[in-house]
Amino acid sequence: MPLAAFADVMQQIVSGLASGGIYASLALALVLIHRSTGVINFAQGEMATLCTYVAWTLTVNHGWNYWPAAVVTLVFAFFFGVATHRVVIRPVERGDVLRIVIVTIGLLIAINGFVTWEWSGEQRQLRSPFPSTTWDVGGVVISAQDIGTIAVSLGMVALLWLFFRFTKVGLALRAAAVNPEEARLVGIRVTWMLALGWGLAATLGAVAGMLTAPSLGLDPNMMAPVLIYAFAAAVLGGIDSPFGAVVGGLLVGVLVNVVSYLSQYRGFGWFTEELRLPLALAIILVVLLVRPSGLFGRPQVRRV
Amino acid sequence: MAFAALAVFVAALPAFISDVKAQQFAYVGIYLIALLGLNILTGYTGQISLGHGAFMAIGGYTTVILMVGNEQFGGSITGGVRDVWTIPAAGLVAGLVGLAFGLPALRLSGLYLALATFAVAVAMPSAIKRFDSFTGGGTGVNLFGKPELTGGLTGVDLLGRHLSFNLWLYYLCWSIALVAFAVAWLVLRGRTGRAFRAVRDSETAAISSGISLARYKTLAFGISAAYAGVAGSLFAIANTYVNPDTFPVLLSIELLIGIVVGGLGRLSGLVFGAYVIAFFRLYWAQGEDLGSLLPHRVIEETHKPGGPAIVYGVFLILLMFVLPSGVAGLFRSIGAALTRRR
Amino acid sequence: MRKPAVIVLAAAVLAALAALPGALASSSARSSDPGITSTTILLGGTAPLTGPAAAYASVARGAKAYFDYVNSKGGVAHRKIQYKYLDDGYNPALTVQDVRQLVEQDKVFSIFNTLGTEVNLSVRDYLNANKVPQLFAASGATTFGRDTAQYPWTIGFQPSYQAEGFLLGQFLAKTKKKGKVAVLFQNDDYGKDLLGGLKRGLQRSKVKVVAAQPYDVTAADVSSQVAKLKASGANVFAIFATPKFAIQAYVFAGRLGWRPAVINNAVSAASNIMVLASEGGKNKTVNGTVALNFLKDPSDVRWKKDPGMKLYRSIMARFAKGANVADVYHVYGMAVAYETVSLFKRMGANPTRAGLIAKARSMNDPSNPFLLPGVAVKTGPGDGFPIQQGQLQRWTNGHWVPFGGIWTSKKL
Repeated sequence: MPLAAFADVMQQIVSGLASGGIYASLALALVLIHRSTGVINFAQGEMATLCTYVAWTLTVNHGWNYWPAAVVTLVFAFFFGVATHRVVIRPVERGDVLRIVIVTIGLLIAINGFVTWEWSGEQRQLRSPFPSTTWDVGGVVISAQDIGTIAVSLGMVALLWLFFRFTKVGLALRAAAVNPEEARLVGIRVTWMLALGWGLAATLGAVAGMLTAPSLGLDPNMMAPVLIYAFAAAVLGGIDSPFGAVVGGLLVGVLVNVVSYLSQYRGFGWFTEELRLPLALAIILVVLLVRPSGLFGRPQVRRV
Repeated sequence: MAFAALAVFVAALPAFISDVKAQQFAYVGIYLIALLGLNILTGYTGQISLGHGAFMAIGGYTTVILMVGNEQFGGSITGGVRDVWTIPAAGLVAGLVGLAFGLPALRLSGLYLALATFAVAVAMPSAIKRFDSFTGGGTGVNLFGKPELTGGLTGVDLLGRHLSFNLWLYYLCWSIALVAFAVAWLVLRGRTGRAFRAVRDSETAAISSGISLARYKTLAFGISAAYAGVAGSLFAIANTYVNPDTFPVLLSIELLIGIVVGGLGRLSGLVFGAYVIAFFRLYWAQGEDLGSLLPHRVIEETHKPGGPAIVYGVFLILLMFVLPSGVAGLFRSIGAALTRRR
Repeated sequence: MRKPAVIVLAAAVLAALAALPGALASSSARSSDPGITSTTILLGGTAPLTGPAAAYASVARGAKAYFDYVNSKGGVAHRKIQYKYLDDGYNPALTVQDVRQLVEQDKVFSIFNTLGTEVNLSVRDYLNANKVPQLFAASGATTFGRDTAQYPWTIGFQPSYQAEGFLLGQFLAKTKKKGKVAVLFQNDDYGKDLLGGLKRGLQRSKVKVVAAQPYDVTAADVSSQVAKLKASGANVFAIFATPKFAIQAYVFAGRLGWRPAVINNAVSAASNIMVLASEGGKNKTVNGTVALNFLKDPSDVRWKKDPGMKLYRSIMARFAKGANVADVYHVYGMAVAYETVSLFKRMGANPTRAGLIAKARSMNDPSNPFLLPGVAVKTGPGDGFPIQQGQLQRWTNGHWVPFGGIWTSKKL
């Protein structure tokens, strides 16, 4: 019996890692935007949903093959992100925080509305890029989809790291984010760097959407709960750390599942299904209060 | 004084509009109360809150539980309190929770505070459902027809006049709104108001002039939460029904939109902010047209589901471009321009 | 405040009000009951056109298309039926405001086809107190059919969730002999009613519910719950979830390599949903799913030559261009609109609100063209549930195959 229970817990952990992989992929986009432009983009989930619908239109409506459609979607996402920054964010970037918050919320509302307007609220499905193979390891079933999602998220972190560390553009992006004035002095086109940051983040978001839809189902509100978990992941991992975002996502996914599993035992009986989401939110609150820079972030110093 | 103009206007309006419209305007009053509170926190003290819908929920549920009790769900409160007497209780409870929240919130600022309060707003409906033996859970609680609800079935006789339920709601909400307006004005013009503004403008300067950040930030949270609680209480009374979905995240977002649109820190624009929130709710439902100003085809397209949302979002973005200080800023500029001409 | 600002404020508010359409009190020509003129009948309702339940908006669209069709043929007793529906985003606070506007400003004859359990609950007391019919509330909550004494002006339409759960339980009791059932259910009245009904249907049998996992509508995914249900060792999987989560249930069961016998609930058993769940044929868990159905499914080849469904398709083509014909909620909308038209036909030249409800409580229609043959719409004294029947069907090779006869649930 204990062995069966062990397998059950492990299965919950595996499920948690798989869900966590989805949260991580969106959290990466959030982190990238915050790191390069200092903005928390409340519309990140909706932007990802829009791009996923583009992928859906190409594959299901027009019968394209998956991979060409995916590439086109990513390219679209990039330009969409750049355009959004130049048109919507730039005019208010240097204003006060509240204006930017309202603008990203306006984006959230408008994009969500557009998706419903264009594609209706009907439930849809996007196929997965991964095969449907599964492996049974001692009673615990792991699927290619689960592994694939986590692998892609980690891969994106690695790509980002390489990009920031070893390319001129990446370096310029970092410089523009850290100290825009001095970056300009050195000849870096700061505005374009910020737009680039948004473009890349939108691309990451599109990847997140395409990883999410096969599991969660494609509808206009697909990313709403994922966004919340992604915020938890980003805050937990450190809002400026891509690696932290992925670790945070996996941790959040596993933690919620484990607490839910333990709820059958004494001491955890207070946990019911309504509290799944609030648990993730509690993580946000606790981290912000105890260690705002998260696990892997750098503590911020307040200058007088 | 703007206050007098508003009071006169509010008193006279029902003569010109239908009964149903009066009730819709009652909601403007409700949002105004919430905005007055949020404005104290965000406009005057500089603390962003994306979670004031949660305080409205606390106020709303306080009212409901005091009115009809929660014994039918398994709780131990009998209820039976008349609706109007629950309003101050709702404000008090919400205010206390706000004070309690203000203390840990001291450590957060800017975007982090926004994120934390956003988390509270998202968690609130789930928390209400979790404690369903106390709150009635997802099924909700109905107030209509209950004896504790004033005027629901028959209207109200007041000062010799008979008021329909709609008109009663209108006068109830607006008289409280006007009182709330006056109280806010008095609080803000005094020492407390100056302290709030000092905290917003520069925390370090405030500390060096001897202003206790902890005291005033927490106080701002408490006051704004109390206002939201009163608004939530009236919201429950006006809707005659509550359930977790009546206080969704969007409500908190709408409140923030209201004060930014109206003009941070300025009482005058808040009326307009409240009107925008109320109006857009009805517009979203496609019960209100943008009027026949636009060509028919455009109206048709924007009435497809999702259309009103696009309009709303774009409107918000454009407003932030064009009127960064909100509508009140516009009033001031026009007002300044008019005075300059003399 | 400075004087100029005051002037501007006052002027602006007045201007804003002037732009308010309908700001002035309107008077309409009234006949005996509001909403009826010599040429029109005005029905009003709300539907979740946006928000988490937006997939069900087709219920309103289907009904409207049917009314448009009837109007194109001259209407009912020389009156055209106008159906105005507003978006409440599944938020009861908006429903309350919308319904008040419909009743007090638009002066509708009846509230009709409002979708959702809580949204209907939020306006039920108001409508009954004001003697406005709450006709054919689109919710399977038992209270709408059971509490007719307390709420005489309210009536539902679809089979109650408890009845559906009960019938499914009876089916399992008869066919599984020794089964262990694991249930995924939404933690609101809808899911709990289905589960409760199932348990009652299984009461005197050897089949037992060994695990029941709830999920909240705010859940991102139900993978954790499905894993727990698989771990219970059950050989029957009951999916009492709305379409989005039902599809997820199939997907995750497939990924876990779990192949139990599956029963699904009517809300999520439309062909288009099952096709999505089968993931293009890759997911074998859908095969053999049993569900109860009461509507004709547009994707079912049985109805290719069926007059009722031919009518459905022609109405969709003419009056609902661009809408998804395979969406079974359109069929529901037409079924309920069809019965509404029958009610008006029976009332003849002088429809009244009281008459509408009285006729709705004495319906006897065995041949609604959009319902399965054999499923009747019937109400009477002591029976407040218009539809209490369904037919079981099994998902085989990508489509539903019916079996057995029509099942009827006894009074609940």
